[in-house]
Amino acid sequence: MSIVIKQREPSRLPSKTDAEFDRISNLPGHVIYQILSRLPIRDAVRSSVLSRKWRYKWAKIPCLVFDNHCLNFSSQDQSFIKNKLVNIIDHVLLLHNGPIHKFKLSHRDLLGVTDIDRWILCISRSSIKEVVLEIWKGQRYKPPSCLFNCQNLVHLELFNCLLEPPLMFKGFKNLKSLDLQHITITQDVFEKLVSSCPSLERLTLMNFTGVTHLVIDAPNLQFFDIGGIFEDVSFLNTVHLSYVSIGLYVNIDNEENDARDNSSKLLRFFVNLPHIRRLEIQSYFLKYLAMGYVPSRLPNLCVDLNHLSIRIDFDDLEENTAALCLLRSCPNLLELEMLARPEEQSSMERSTNFWEEDHWSSLFAHLRLVKVSGISGVKSDMDFIKFLLSNSPVLEQLTVKPASQEGEWELMKELLRFRRASIYAEVIYLDP
Amino acid sequence: MSEVDMAVIKPEMMKSYIWLQTADGSIQQVEQEVAMFCPMICHEVIQKGMGSSKNYAISLPQRVNPAMLSLILDYCRFHQVPGRSNKERKSFDEKFIRMDTKRLCELTSAADSLQLKPLVDLTSRALARIIEGKSPEEIREIFHLPDDLTEEEKLEPLKNTTDDPRIRLLNRLYAKKRKELKERQKLKNIEVEEERVDDRSVDDLLSFINGDNGDSKGIKNSKSKKKNRRRKDQQKNTSANEAIKNHNKEPNGLNQVCCSAEVGQTVRAGVGATSNLHDVEDDIFDNKNELDDGDIDDEIDPALKEKIDREVEDFARRLNSDWPERMQEILSFGHERKPVHFSLNGNGSLRRYANSEQR
Repeated sequence: MSIVIKQREPSRLPSKTDAEFDRISNLPGHVIYQILSRLPIRDAVRSSVLSRKWRYKWAKIPCLVFDNHCLNFSSQDQSFIKNKLVNIIDHVLLLHNGPIHKFKLSHRDLLGVTDIDRWILCISRSSIKEVVLEIWKGQRYKPPSCLFNCQNLVHLELFNCLLEPPLMFKGFKNLKSLDLQHITITQDVFEKLVSSCPSLERLTLMNFTGVTHLVIDAPNLQFFDIGGIFEDVSFLNTVHLSYVSIGLYVNIDNEENDARDNSSKLLRFFVNLPHIRRLEIQSYFLKYLAMGYVPSRLPNLCVDLNHLSIRIDFDDLEENTAALCLLRSCPNLLELEMLARPEEQSSMERSTNFWEEDHWSSLFAHLRLVKVSGISGVKSDMDFIKFLLSNSPVLEQLTVKPASQEGEWELMKELLRFRRASIYAEVIYLDP
Repeated sequence: MSEVDMAVIKPEMMKSYIWLQTADGSIQQVEQEVAMFCPMICHEVIQKGMGSSKNYAISLPQRVNPAMLSLILDYCRFHQVPGRSNKERKSFDEKFIRMDTKRLCELTSAADSLQLKPLVDLTSRALARIIEGKSPEEIREIFHLPDDLTEEEKLEPLKNTTDDPRIRLLNRLYAKKRKELKERQKLKNIEVEEERVDDRSVDDLLSFINGDNGDSKGIKNSKSKKKNRRRKDQQKNTSANEAIKNHNKEPNGLNQVCCSAEVGQTVRAGVGATSNLHDVEDDIFDNKNELDDGDIDDEIDPALKEKIDREVEDFARRLNSDWPERMQEILSFGHERKPVHFSLNGNGSLRRYANSEQR
């Protein structure tokens, strides 16, 4: 089958008729950039051969993304890939002719090579606003100091990097969103970084090395998401913080700490979170909160807290106590999620029902949606569910998902039996 | 005035309307909450108090014609209702943008002039989806873009930027074509030169007669090359060069057939093209028929090179199956030295004019 040559009907002199039919080339510049920005960089650059008008349109797009779509092949040869990528990015940056507002580099085969330094230098001269740098393989990459000169930066996202800003670094005045994952940073540098970015609204910190005591001093912070290994977290001056998700990835030993420090972690944690709306306590963080003195209820109720998610070990008395304190402190809770942590089975089953002791009927006054998952049907799990069902007058849906198929039938039989305070409640059982 | 009367009689039935006037002069009224969804209209109403009656209708920008306005109002009418779920809105959007590309572009333009950003986002996403992954020829076809870049200009930004094997094939193809043309041009010049033997000096003639009697073809070639070089030195802008220029435009036949328009264009195409060709000619003459792919190929090893050569030959053959024969015909009318005019029939097939028909 031969390739068909397209034959055009009238003569193709660029005439008035062409100009009438060509609707796209004369769209306003910012619209063209929107269209080109939504194409992979290859297609955007190739638009330069479409026609005379399109020759340099791509060179002004404010957003450059170099990701896995840059190269349409993959290879095991590291230096081959590197050469190709470096070639492409060098050319694009050289031919580009306008301000660059967003730069993303995230190719799975690109190591933290020093070529990245000169690209960052290039974009730092161009009033860059968003930088996303993801080094998927290899050692931590250390961004050059010119990155810290980008005073127009609004969003900075780094993956697998080592942060060492220059001594003269005074912070990013306009930074609203900071996302650091798999990074190495020292304690001082981290604190200084956060406190010197007055506009910071979102902070994400995952898998970090070098910081043990997290001190968050950010007056405009609204969103905070952290997962890693640390010893302590405290919020200073964070009245606007409304979404917090914390995961402590290491199991801490309660007995060690009790002797030294009797102050309440729970109280300290919540003292500076007056307007919190969504809270997720993940991994072992509840254990951390359970350290020290745990009141029956927080002195200042979290009236704005609507959504709570807790990873809990129902067999652990301290954790249950902490959880109960929390549940008593959020009168306006709408959604609750309890995720059971699969621990080794405790040697003896407690005969007492922890949850039976509470008779505060106003506990779940607004609670509508509950999810419980990872349970195994043991007494401590079922006690909680029973307690929940009989104390939530407006409950609409309870979803139960066990950890495994073991003991499924028993679990379901018990579930069926529990009294329900809400006549609207649906109890949905999901397969493990 | 009747509207005012109606307002008195049935107040509960009166919704407030905004009056809009499109560039063609037609005026219509639109429910207020729908029209106010457009920031530009909102601004006119609030800041300038316009739109309350027929006489004070808001003049919409020129890019908004009645058809586009009605589409935009449909969009606004759906989205201004607060109670819809995200899923509903998304599926409405998907159905809404199903239209031909021309209207999509017009809609983008109109929405932009009314500052309706969500609709501009939606349409630009749709346009990007259309463009993505297509070849330049396909994109030109869809959007009716003129193919007005010269070949050199097309090749410039592509070299090395995307390293697409297709681009490399293209480069080689063009280079091959140029080479072929040179060959034919040389053949043609040989015929022509038969008439101009006088240009050569006696010494040359003698040396030729007395010179090696090896491969006659080889000698003939080298003779013609020498002659050509001298001729070239004497006259920079021979018609031969012009013919080359004209014919060189032809290899663009990957996506179109030769036609008079193109030929006419090349003459206009500019000095830049000419000077490039001079350089190319120099290269070819200096390098004695060796195809100088050196600066076009980046690090292709010989085996791959041969493979690509074969592919290019195949490619060229398939695309322009009857092109060489045609060129022979043209060149055999070489006395005229005018570009032969092709024209297209109604059904688009080529007809060439025989020499006798041409005048």
